[in-house]
Amino acid sequence: MLHIENLVASYGNVRVLHDITLTVPKGKLVALIGSNGAGKTTTLRAISGMLAPESGSITLGGHEIAGLPSYEITRFGLAHSPEGRRVFATLPVRDNLLLGAYPRLTGARARGDVDADVERMFELFPRLRERSDQLAGTLSGGEQQMLAMARALMLNPEVLLLDEPSMGLAPRLVGEVFSIIARLKEANITMLLVEQFAAAALEVADFGYVLENGNITLSGDAAMLRNDPAVRDAYLGGSH
Amino acid sequence: MSILMQLVVSGMAVGMIYGVIAFGYQLTFATSKTLNFGQGEALMLGALVGLTAINFLIGQSLGTFWAYLLMLPIVLAFGALQGTVVEWLGVRQAIKTKSEAGWIMATIALGIIFKNVAENVWGRDALKFPSPLPEASLSFWGIRIQPMEIAIVIGAVGMMLAVEFFNRRTILGKAVVATANDRDAAGLMGIDTAKVITFSYALSSMTAAFAGVLVAPVTLTGATMGAVLGLKAFAVAIIGGLSSGLGVVVGGLILGVTETLTGYYISTGYKDVPGLVLLLLVLSLRPSGLFGKATIKKV
Repeated sequence: MLHIENLVASYGNVRVLHDITLTVPKGKLVALIGSNGAGKTTTLRAISGMLAPESGSITLGGHEIAGLPSYEITRFGLAHSPEGRRVFATLPVRDNLLLGAYPRLTGARARGDVDADVERMFELFPRLRERSDQLAGTLSGGEQQMLAMARALMLNPEVLLLDEPSMGLAPRLVGEVFSIIARLKEANITMLLVEQFAAAALEVADFGYVLENGNITLSGDAAMLRNDPAVRDAYLGGSH
Repeated sequence: MSILMQLVVSGMAVGMIYGVIAFGYQLTFATSKTLNFGQGEALMLGALVGLTAINFLIGQSLGTFWAYLLMLPIVLAFGALQGTVVEWLGVRQAIKTKSEAGWIMATIALGIIFKNVAENVWGRDALKFPSPLPEASLSFWGIRIQPMEIAIVIGAVGMMLAVEFFNRRTILGKAVVATANDRDAAGLMGIDTAKVITFSYALSSMTAAFAGVLVAPVTLTGATMGAVLGLKAFAVAIIGGLSSGLGVVVGGLILGVTETLTGYYISTGYKDVPGLVLLLLVLSLRPSGLFGKATIKKV
């Protein structure tokens, strides 16, 4: 579904991604793990057009999307729940959700039933229903994370990129976020997940990639990576 | 007392004009963090195009009132086009290269060019603009008001409410607000934010052109009418805050009223001083504006 080959990307003169090749098969959940600064977020930003890659190929459902602006990539069905949530603070929760469906509401993507999808999001994230008329800026961090995920899902995406959905959340909420990711996986949503909680990510994922200093150093079945001694030492720690 | 009330009421009409131009500054600042320093010239061009249009329509043996109404869509369309040109020539490249000052010089330069063009097309004299409403004042409890002054207040408030309604109720309006909130995140939603910025420039010049034909019947029309209005409206935008719609209305009214009061009680020669003093006070005591939220620019 999503295929990245020899992706190279830089911030100014600093090369962050050296040579990334990875594949997210349809209906699968792929976890991208690695330490801070390894290039996980940059990989997602390059895929969704927030950062123009220097070279390499990114295809989504057969369409080459590398170097296109974000808004055009969205039309091919790529949704990105970005690092730091980035909800629209001065708009109500419901409007944030509708904006997630912007390409559907403006004819750039098949419309479907947007209202029914808003309802579906309220079922998946009941707290958003209680807050539906509240401004997104007044939500708690956990609620904003739910909103960012729900907003991305409103695209009816072919592929969903999730960047650190657990960041800054209380442990109870981290569990809640991962149970929602598991439910999305049951619904056969194709996902690429970037996570600091590598153990939890590999627990729920089908495949995993390990990113180190802008290079993929290891990849394979999530279960296999979980049991790999090198991965255990570097990312999983004793406690997980 | 009735003199004071008279002065307050007279100040309100011009204050609303300041408010609606300042609102135009806000529209582009919200989406792009840039301003059109030729906003006064957008107003002036709107008024002069409106003058030519209304005189043509009156020449088609239409009454002044109907000619004025028919002229409005022409002026609004012209304003939108003019704003698009300004964004295209003066702002787009500066935003793309993240230039901090390029758009300032470019919009000032375009403003000067527009003024020169206007001087050559319409001449240097101040021209009378036909009033669509009777010019005789109405009297309410001893306070005299020109019908056109009432129309200014209604028109200005109506324009701002229309934009507010568009932003809150339509998906395209929500896309504008989303772009103002977070341009990158708006792009991730599938919003073409460059187009949204062009649109906000079109809308901004459209409000200025509209303000031009609102104020023209009570003032005179000419190539130099925009400069002072644009500058004062900029003061209003700073006083009211660049992010608050209510702020520019209140700021505009404060400036309009203090000007008429100063003109009467002190001297018309000092008419422009209190507004500028107020501007300096706000800048030193509350730099984000009376109604603005404090923001810290991260470097």
